[in-house]
Amino acid sequence: MMYQCFIVHKNIVGFFVAAGLFLFVPTGFTQELGKEIFTQKCSACHSIGKGRLVGPDLAGVNDRRSEGWLLKFIKSPQAVINSGDPVAKALFEEFKMVMPDQALSDKQIRDILSFIKKNGISSSASTPPVALAGPVPQHEIELGRNLFQGKVRFANGGPSCTSCHHVKNDAVIGGGILARELTTVFSRMGGEGVRAILGGPPFPVMQAAYQGMPFTDDEIRALVGFLQHADQEHAYQQPRDYGWGLFGAGVGGVAVLMGFYCMIGRRRKKQSVNQDIYDRQIKSE
Amino acid sequence: MTFNNFLFVALPYIAIITFVIGSIQRYRATGFKVSSLSSQFLEGRKLYFGSMAFHWGILAVFMGHLITFLFPTATLAWNSNPVRLIVLEVMAFTFGLSILIGLTGLFLRRLSTPRIKMVTNRMDLIIELLLLSQVVLGCWIALGYRWGASWFASDLSPYLWSIVKLNPQIEAVSAMPPVIRTHIVGAFVIIGMIPFTRLMHFLVAPFHYIFRPLQLVMWTWDRRRVRDPKTVWTVHRPKNN
Repeated sequence: MMYQCFIVHKNIVGFFVAAGLFLFVPTGFTQELGKEIFTQKCSACHSIGKGRLVGPDLAGVNDRRSEGWLLKFIKSPQAVINSGDPVAKALFEEFKMVMPDQALSDKQIRDILSFIKKNGISSSASTPPVALAGPVPQHEIELGRNLFQGKVRFANGGPSCTSCHHVKNDAVIGGGILARELTTVFSRMGGEGVRAILGGPPFPVMQAAYQGMPFTDDEIRALVGFLQHADQEHAYQQPRDYGWGLFGAGVGGVAVLMGFYCMIGRRRKKQSVNQDIYDRQIKSE
Repeated sequence: MTFNNFLFVALPYIAIITFVIGSIQRYRATGFKVSSLSSQFLEGRKLYFGSMAFHWGILAVFMGHLITFLFPTATLAWNSNPVRLIVLEVMAFTFGLSILIGLTGLFLRRLSTPRIKMVTNRMDLIIELLLLSQVVLGCWIALGYRWGASWFASDLSPYLWSIVKLNPQIEAVSAMPPVIRTHIVGAFVIIGMIPFTRLMHFLVAPFHYIFRPLQLVMWTWDRRRVRDPKTVWTVHRPKNN
């Protein structure tokens, strides 16, 4: 009897545990997943109810746009813009940049949207704004400039910004052109936007480059300061153009190499061993 | 994403497996045919300049890619000085141009010299065209997406290591410009084609030639003097006599 009671009791407990799992866990789990993905992928550029950063504030986005549109747009904003969608084109005009494609499944996007819907204004996932009041101290600009071009290495070992980005500044070597030029990035995105991107890069190429090697707060402050200064001063800057210089140096270098090949091959055997025999045969035919 | 998965996950593994198994099989089956089939006896002058420019260029550029792949942190440290970065990039571009000039010369020689045409097969032309397009893309990348030495170390080296560790991370490489993606895909296609082409000769490069004693070629001697039993060997005597 005791044993039967125990079994019945165990079954009742088991029933409630299972029901709890089915009823409550998926919603909570979805919320958690949504928060995690939002923090990783979205929070660098978007806030929920704390104003615009690089991209728009996402509070209430579920009411403003249909789920189908959001699924399409988040997966490939460029494709939606190219399709002529007026809302996507207006967003591009307003923010002057295209959000990178996100390799997310429909379920992951729905988890994010669910997280945004539930958290509304009280989200804590957005990046705190940077305080950039007044002029930037000269030593901070100097540090930012050196960090930007790699003269001072980032504390966690990340690559210098010049690897991929150019900024029009006389004191900086011509930067890379794999990614967008940053001369006027401060005007385009503001200090908060730049800081948000540095704090959690939303672009896959930048994410991979700094994976496990994040910027420190001091580095972010110095870089933002330098970019603000570069933006303000760019009209007076005339840095050297490396495009044709690099090409010319390459052509000069290859001319030297060809001269070197000529020199070391001067005493090479210039015809085959039996060339005389061959020539004699050709002549006698 | 599916297409990118094929290009940057499936293709690299197919290429590497084909290269390894194909090379072993070819060496086991027809070991003596693993060669670049020298055509120096058929035409020497164009070959010298084409071959020197191509081989020195490809050696330098290949070693540059390999070192950046193996030691990305050291490469980034080297590039942290702007002057060193520019010197490295100019040298890489110079050797890239050297490959382009040399390979173009070799390709034209193969098409225009009757003797060479006789010993040319279809795969020779295909691989030369592939290499040519690859080097054009490489030079384009060096100029059009400059400081490749740095972004290769920070983005492509981790991708290649993820392939080696059997945990491919393709987000960054999928977001690269089309020219760079084509260059990467081209590299894997060429790796996969090595066992079927003359490129396989690099696996049997005669490095021991560098360290072996000099061998004296008999036909450059005064034969009458050599045959004279009274002549003393004043130079190194061949070891196989």
